[in-house]
Amino acid sequence: MQRVTVVLGHLAARPAGGPALRAAQCGGVATAPGHDGEQDDVVVVHGRRTPIAKAKRGGFKDTTPDELLSAVMTAVLTDVSLSPEKVGDICVGNVLQPGAGAFTARISQFLSGIPETVPISCVNRQCSSGLQAVINIAGGIRNGSYDIGLACGVETMSLRNVDTPGDVSSRMMDNSKARDCLIPMGMTSENVAERFGISRKKQDDFAMASQQKAARAQQMGLFKNEIIPVRTTVKDDQGNQKTITVLQDEGIRPSTTLEGLAKLKPAFKENGSTTAGNSSQVSDGAAAVLLAKRSKATQLGLPVLGVLKSYAVVGVPPDVMGIGPAYAIPVALEKAGLTVNDIDIYEINEAFASQVVYCVEKLGIPKEKVNPLGGAIALGHPLGCTGARQVVTLLNELKRRGKRAYGVVSMCIGTGMGAAAVFEYPGK
Amino acid sequence: MSGAGAGARRAQAFRLPGRHGYAVEFSPYLPGRLACAAAQYYGIAGCGTLAVLEQNEAGICLFRSFDWNDGLFDVTWSENNEHVLVTSSGDGSLQIWDTAKPTGPLQVYKEHTQEVYSVDWSQTRGEQLVVSGSWDQTAKLWDPTVGRSLCTFKGHEGIIYSTIWSPHIPGCFASASGDQTLRIWDVKTPGVKVVIPGHEAEILSCDWCKYDENVLVTGAVDCSLKGWDLRNVRQPLFNLIGHTYAVRRVKFSPFHATLLASCSYDFTVRFWDFSKPNPLLETVEHHTEFTCGLDLSLHNHGQVADCAWDELVKSYTPSCLAAPV
Repeated sequence: MQRVTVVLGHLAARPAGGPALRAAQCGGVATAPGHDGEQDDVVVVHGRRTPIAKAKRGGFKDTTPDELLSAVMTAVLTDVSLSPEKVGDICVGNVLQPGAGAFTARISQFLSGIPETVPISCVNRQCSSGLQAVINIAGGIRNGSYDIGLACGVETMSLRNVDTPGDVSSRMMDNSKARDCLIPMGMTSENVAERFGISRKKQDDFAMASQQKAARAQQMGLFKNEIIPVRTTVKDDQGNQKTITVLQDEGIRPSTTLEGLAKLKPAFKENGSTTAGNSSQVSDGAAAVLLAKRSKATQLGLPVLGVLKSYAVVGVPPDVMGIGPAYAIPVALEKAGLTVNDIDIYEINEAFASQVVYCVEKLGIPKEKVNPLGGAIALGHPLGCTGARQVVTLLNELKRRGKRAYGVVSMCIGTGMGAAAVFEYPGK
Repeated sequence: MSGAGAGARRAQAFRLPGRHGYAVEFSPYLPGRLACAAAQYYGIAGCGTLAVLEQNEAGICLFRSFDWNDGLFDVTWSENNEHVLVTSSGDGSLQIWDTAKPTGPLQVYKEHTQEVYSVDWSQTRGEQLVVSGSWDQTAKLWDPTVGRSLCTFKGHEGIIYSTIWSPHIPGCFASASGDQTLRIWDVKTPGVKVVIPGHEAEILSCDWCKYDENVLVTGAVDCSLKGWDLRNVRQPLFNLIGHTYAVRRVKFSPFHATLLASCSYDFTVRFWDFSKPNPLLETVEHHTEFTCGLDLSLHNHGQVADCAWDELVKSYTPSCLAAPV
């Protein structure tokens, strides 16, 4: 009824301004008109992603990461008609390419028609690399190095395997934390499930829900505004090349059943509970997010899809790295001056159902707010791409819903960390 | 705050069981008397109650109470009869009550088509008029001795939450609305005089400065209070930030030109002096629900009354106002 609606309307808005500014304002400092700091906000202008394809057998199995990156870089700049030389810096999140793909990135920039005058860097913070790229660009904007930047994430797991940790000291074996960094991710999931009592049933239920949510979203066309179809080539068994256009995510299985999930064998440990069905999929994909200082976006007439409110990355024990979001999210929320209940959507990466279920239960997040369009269990988890992909999916869904709201992007990070960022969708 | 300084008064509370306070007003005649408009079920459904309270050294006691079959959202005291009050209700009506007549209202005026959230009795000499503001987006002018409204003011494009008479300019009132504007009206002319797009959010409350006829304050859903000088409305005179949820009601002090009080959905009441570099003087956190009603006593310097959805009406002197003038 109307009275409830009216009162709820009064509760919808929270104080404006960035988190740092909030702290000062809570002290009751009067601000001069027009100096409320809003113009210094870092805003998300636009974001796109490729479809996410199944690694080694999907549509991108023969596609190099520079091609995927180029597709999203081009699409983002073209969509908002921004001339490429206006971009102040580019950062690409990547995990598996040598040196986080510094060469791949620069090459994809040229393939996208972005001139040599625009610089580029790469970042590897494991599964949060795509989000870290967003934060690196936001940081550059915040400290005045430039006013517009492009953050990307890419991974081609078809062409690169998660393999050796690189050159490490033998002394590592004497230090338990250092040693724990080498535990395979699947085993860290088993550790979380065991230590915190996350049953196989809970994990399978969560995986089932992820598949159903993703299937529903795909069927309703909810990804169509974020996905850029990619034209590429694949080789068949006989080595014949064929040109195809990859239109949508390949990992979604609408036919998934609880019975089917329950039949799967543990993938990492005898008598374990982590299976191929309740873990993230191995995938290929790329995403790009254009960021700007609000004043610059206004000046250039660029849209504002979201506002970055806060970011936090925290460390947790490496052997249960999956619990990272449970520790990072509260820190990010506090920085933004918000509580768990103020958030409409949580995009928490589904590395494993075990760790997401743990984090969601620990924080008391209502189920319906978690990954409403499904997560990595259904969509796939191209490591370096995921963080940027989540930002794109989150803001598109908030935009579709139309009202001003907050959302969180979070993930666990191998070797024991969690990252979380709070975004605001400003409303139509 | 108890017993501190000669001017300080002990904090007192009164519970209205099953009623959630929307407005509280000190009597302009009797120093110890105050009225509280309240509603059942948080004002979402159910009845309303007007509680007339009597305050003395021993505490606050109920002097008279009147029930109405819809929530009562605002109350104002008559300026020409110490026993008379007017309330506004969720059913679109206004009620005139006489504390000497406990059986029911003297008059009921039903003209608004939706909830009436504000009612105010004029403050200027020689005028005895009442203005009401409603969710039907209109404000209406009433002479309590005439059985129907004298005039209807149209123009707002949202709910009107607050209508307050100027204490200086005869026939002039301000209205605050969900359409994000503050408007100034003159009862002698039908159209609006000034439109101030004050906030980028619903404006829930407004009040006039008692010492400068050109100055007003607004409180809004964006959690801020803004001051306005009618001679230049392009820029706010001040912007007070500190509340963490929407500002529900705001009032200027009857004793200081730059002092004001506000209450909020964040459960707090805050006191401000907009002339100071650190304008927030004090935050009072003694309610456990949305704090909707607030008034500053004309008789006792520093005395404040407030009411909230936690069923409590409180009367106290905040420490920032305890020092003698």
